[in-house]
Amino acid sequence: MTALLEVDGLAKAYRGVHAVADVSFGVAAGAITGLIGPNGSGKSTTIDCISGFQRPDRGRVTLDGADITGLPPQRIARAGLVRTFQTVRVYDQFDLVANLLVAIEPFRTVGWHDALLRTGRYRAARAAAEARARELLDLVGLTRLAAAPASILSYGQKKLLALAAVLMSKPRLVVLDEPVAGVNPTRINEVAGILRKANEAGVSFLIIEHNVEFITGLCDRVVVFDQGRKLTEGPPAEVHGDPRVLDAYLGIDEHGDHVAEAS
Amino acid sequence: MRQLPLAAAALALAALPPAFGSNYLTGVALSGVVFTVAAAALNLVYGYAGLLSFAQLGFWGIGGYCSALTVTRLGGSFWAGLLVAALVNAAVALAIGLPILRTRRHAFVIITLSFALLCALVARDWVSLTRGPLGIPGLPAPRLFGFGFTTATRFYYLVLAYAVLALGFLYALGGSRIGDTLRAIKQNEPLAQSQGVSPLPYKLAAFALSAVVTGVAGAIYVFYLKVVDPLFLDFYYMQTFLIVVIIGGAGSFWGVVLAGMVMVALPEALRFSNDLRMVIYGAILVVAMLALPRGAAGWFADRRLAALRAALE
Repeated sequence: MTALLEVDGLAKAYRGVHAVADVSFGVAAGAITGLIGPNGSGKSTTIDCISGFQRPDRGRVTLDGADITGLPPQRIARAGLVRTFQTVRVYDQFDLVANLLVAIEPFRTVGWHDALLRTGRYRAARAAAEARARELLDLVGLTRLAAAPASILSYGQKKLLALAAVLMSKPRLVVLDEPVAGVNPTRINEVAGILRKANEAGVSFLIIEHNVEFITGLCDRVVVFDQGRKLTEGPPAEVHGDPRVLDAYLGIDEHGDHVAEAS
Repeated sequence: MRQLPLAAAALALAALPPAFGSNYLTGVALSGVVFTVAAAALNLVYGYAGLLSFAQLGFWGIGGYCSALTVTRLGGSFWAGLLVAALVNAAVALAIGLPILRTRRHAFVIITLSFALLCALVARDWVSLTRGPLGIPGLPAPRLFGFGFTTATRFYYLVLAYAVLALGFLYALGGSRIGDTLRAIKQNEPLAQSQGVSPLPYKLAAFALSAVVTGVAGAIYVFYLKVVDPLFLDFYYMQTFLIVVIIGGAGSFWGVVLAGMVMVALPEALRFSNDLRMVIYGAILVVAMLALPRGAAGWFADRRLAALRAALE
């Protein structure tokens, strides 16, 4: 398999403190890759740099061979790399369908005047986007609430909505920041099922998650971070048996691994 | 069918002057219509895009001076003055919008406020152009094909025509995908970016369009007043636009339009008590803000939400 995302020598410091110091890894096309590590090991900073929300100090990020280093988030999203956020983000005042219609992708061919004058081209794109939105709401099991504002959703439901919203962009690579943290345990398998289905349809995933079972069950490969560096990578079973990995978790994060990360 | 309420509102307003039969009341209604348009333009930047822009006052003043100077200095017509006002405001808004829309929330408010104050300073101190505090009096009544907008009633219909045009445009814009995208950016900018939306072009478009609509409103209004002077950049106007938007409910087209008419009519309705009327006006404002912190439209939205929650329990 060829690498879809390539991260090479990425470094980012805040006020002289290295959040990420020289990490390199790749995400294979068609794969589900996990990114794990104790709190503060630089996972969030790394995906902020990959998705354009932070500008890396050094290093290169390429998506399917194209250099996307330091591009603004919207350009990276349009290139096919779309992310979710650790603290779930939705448009609280919009209903669920409207939440999904913000994405640019279904409206790529639609100009400003089309949108303003509601031309045939706009109406066609809008109809297709609404149909797609309803399909995705069905996929994540939120059809019943389609017309309700997102503010009434539970935390877990918002994460499902955010997942559907990401898929609206027809991404090639989705970066998920803790997709099941705070989600009702009974629904975690549901999320895994949705991700597998999307993966079969050709979407690759890079997933940050502390839930070991979730990562082990889903990922082909796991990258382990510790103290701003890559500790190791490999198949989940192999990585979890690695004494260095256990040491990193137990040695630094004795409060357990479900604490929300600060950065 | 979607345009039906807009058409009904326009017809109702068109019937006002004959119903009043008084130049004074027609003048009040005329001011109400002009302020409503300016408030609706502020609603585009503040209510939809979430940008608290005090630059509106500057654009209002630039519009007023542009049309007045076009007629008195350049010998152009009133209509040419409106065109100049629109073009100058678009140019100024794009030029200052590009750098200041990149600043953070609070910096944006301060910079736009400074811009408005700067406009007032220019109006007062660039005496060779604006005649300073003397202002530019004696602005002639606009004419169209030999028809003079000489009376308050005639001018009222001129203003109403512009209001239908401007509000119709803002209504279409706000209800379009562009308006939805602005509201998305206001609610959660990083999320919108992660969905491929570039915030800056949307904000810049909202800022510039609102500048043009406000500027032309100001350009028309000075010809009703027949004079423009530095008082035209008094904070009173900005305060009026802002009150209308906040009471009506930022982000709600109809909330702002209705509040515009009510808030201008209210001081007149309170004339039964001339000494206390502004005190009562202030008290009504305070009570309205306490009872409706997100404006009238926000109050209705909250009720709907509560009903929905109850239905889902």
